[in-house]
Amino acid sequence: MLIRPDREDLRIVAFALGRIFTIVAAASLLPLAWAVLGREWHPFASFLLMIGVFAFLGQLGLRYRPSKERLDWSHGMVVVALTWLAVPAIGSIPLIFSGHYGGPVDAMFDAMSGLTTTGLALVQDLDHIAPSLNFWRHLLHFLGGQGIVIAALVLFAGGGGLTLYYGEARDERILPSVRSTARFIWTVAFVHLVAGVAVLGVIAHQVLGFEWKRSFFHALMIFFAAFDTGGFAPQSTSLGYYHSGIFEFTTTVLMVAGAMSFGLHYALWRGPRRVLFKNLETRTILATVTFTMVLTMVGLGVAGIYTSVQGLTRQGFFQIISAHSGTGFSTLPASELAMWGGLAFGGMTIAMALGGMASSTAGGIKALRIGLTVKAITNQTKQLLLPEGAIVSTRYVQSGRKRLTPQLAQSAMTVALLYVALYLLGAGVALGYGYGFQEALFESVSAGANVGLSVGVAGPSMPMLLKLTYMLQMWAGRLEFVAAFALLGFVYAWVKGK
Amino acid sequence: MALMLLLPGTALAQDGELVPASDLLEEGALFDNVEITVEGELVGDYGFRGDGFMWTQLNGDSYARNALVDGGPRTGANVGIGVRMPSILGEGLPPVGGYRLEGPLVQLTGVWRYHDPDRGGETYLDVSELFIVDEGRRLEEGPDWGVLALGVLLLVTSLVMWGRNRRSPAAE
Repeated sequence: MLIRPDREDLRIVAFALGRIFTIVAAASLLPLAWAVLGREWHPFASFLLMIGVFAFLGQLGLRYRPSKERLDWSHGMVVVALTWLAVPAIGSIPLIFSGHYGGPVDAMFDAMSGLTTTGLALVQDLDHIAPSLNFWRHLLHFLGGQGIVIAALVLFAGGGGLTLYYGEARDERILPSVRSTARFIWTVAFVHLVAGVAVLGVIAHQVLGFEWKRSFFHALMIFFAAFDTGGFAPQSTSLGYYHSGIFEFTTTVLMVAGAMSFGLHYALWRGPRRVLFKNLETRTILATVTFTMVLTMVGLGVAGIYTSVQGLTRQGFFQIISAHSGTGFSTLPASELAMWGGLAFGGMTIAMALGGMASSTAGGIKALRIGLTVKAITNQTKQLLLPEGAIVSTRYVQSGRKRLTPQLAQSAMTVALLYVALYLLGAGVALGYGYGFQEALFESVSAGANVGLSVGVAGPSMPMLLKLTYMLQMWAGRLEFVAAFALLGFVYAWVKGK
Repeated sequence: MALMLLLPGTALAQDGELVPASDLLEEGALFDNVEITVEGELVGDYGFRGDGFMWTQLNGDSYARNALVDGGPRTGANVGIGVRMPSILGEGLPPVGGYRLEGPLVQLTGVWRYHDPDRGGETYLDVSELFIVDEGRRLEEGPDWGVLALGVLLLVTSLVMWGRNRRSPAAE
């Protein structure tokens, strides 16, 4: 029998949401302060309204303290799924009032794209937007990439941390407690923030010749978008704005760092580094990056798109790392990317679909699942070819030696298949509206894998249903389905349960 | 001043083919190594580099002279191209376009470099002549008082609720 959630269940969910909204209200003071410093009074008013809504809903939730504070699995998943819907909805308030969006749906599309670190954008006239609003768009990348719920875990003690942690699609606990793991994740982020902004800022000033203030503005925005594999950029021409190989290279380093699992960061910081190359996920991602890069380079070479080796390697390398890491920066206009047909198109689309590492800020199927799936298929084939009774090793290395069980293999394959279904869903809707197969598939994979590269489909004038589909893809893809399904189950039980 | 500069500007457009920025983005290969003229607003930054060149962005969209802040219509995303010019041409330019700032509306003549092999496959306009059609201006954008009042009201209510929640034994 399906049990209907009771009042206590709702109190548990409301209370946890209250805490998270309070954290987001506090984080939103940063763009408010930016607006004050820049004397940007129009955005200031809308930031104040947004903070007011977050604070009000936060306090409203905190009124409903449950009798037992511990969240069980389903509560945690529902809280995470609702958080990732409510924060973009409320976070879109300053964007709505900015006048740079066609309506509330467009504004929420960008807020969802920001929080889920996708990077597809419906903003109009980005080049004249207020710096505080640009900062807010990029800060959403940081909040979403590092995990807003994880931030709540760092600041608030209390039960249920584990379920919230896993709900945000974090697959491995690096340290013994979830709280210490969350603290480590934010420490890694802040260390990279300081180093990344310093290096990019100095390059922007010394090499690109920007003023100091503007140099650090660009550095901060690009850092948020690169390290959190987001893809928004402060100017409409994305990374193509900078016309600098060294700036692109530094950004690439940050994109790679963002696509690495926090477990790998931990190993690099404190662990024995030799183990890294035995790690299944590291080996898998090295193989897939090499494969997709060769595919793309050969495709570009055959098509004769670039006349020099330097041009082909620099442009091809950057776009592939951007696609595979799930960032979505581009040094080319969308119209030019749309002309990458054949192998280059295949390489880019596969790179986007596969994504970065598990427990990173990247989206997509993830290297760990690909590695496990390939290993399971290989083992199965070996078993068939070897004499009866022969034993095939099912061991693999991933934060220590582990055994590939049939359940684990099944779980990895199921999620991979769900991603494929998600990619096909968006492509199907776009095809229904008359877009070509190639552009429909590219854009859908970009949305579902939280990449943000575009061949021109995603824009203010695209059909409303397609906007909603991409938003759904970004949300479900970022949560890796579990929390999204838990929310659907919760609602279903509420309606049909007894 | 704008009127005085407009006449030579028009003549300049006749010398080289006046190409919309959108055509350069859609069919850039067609103009490779061709001398052209493009009109638009300079936005973003003026990046004066050590090699004697200045880089910036030229937007050839409707926002160039119909800013949203000023009530202009929304017409989609920006249409921007990268431009490089000798630093001497860029010195003394009016403030570049950005928030509450209409940048200079210019006509730039130069060679369109499509996937330039000497610059790692970058695409940009290599400017040799610059002509200012209009210097641009500062724009005003005040607060929306209704939004501000609603925000303050919600914040005050939240603070009152926070005080009550702290006092209430049933709350945090």
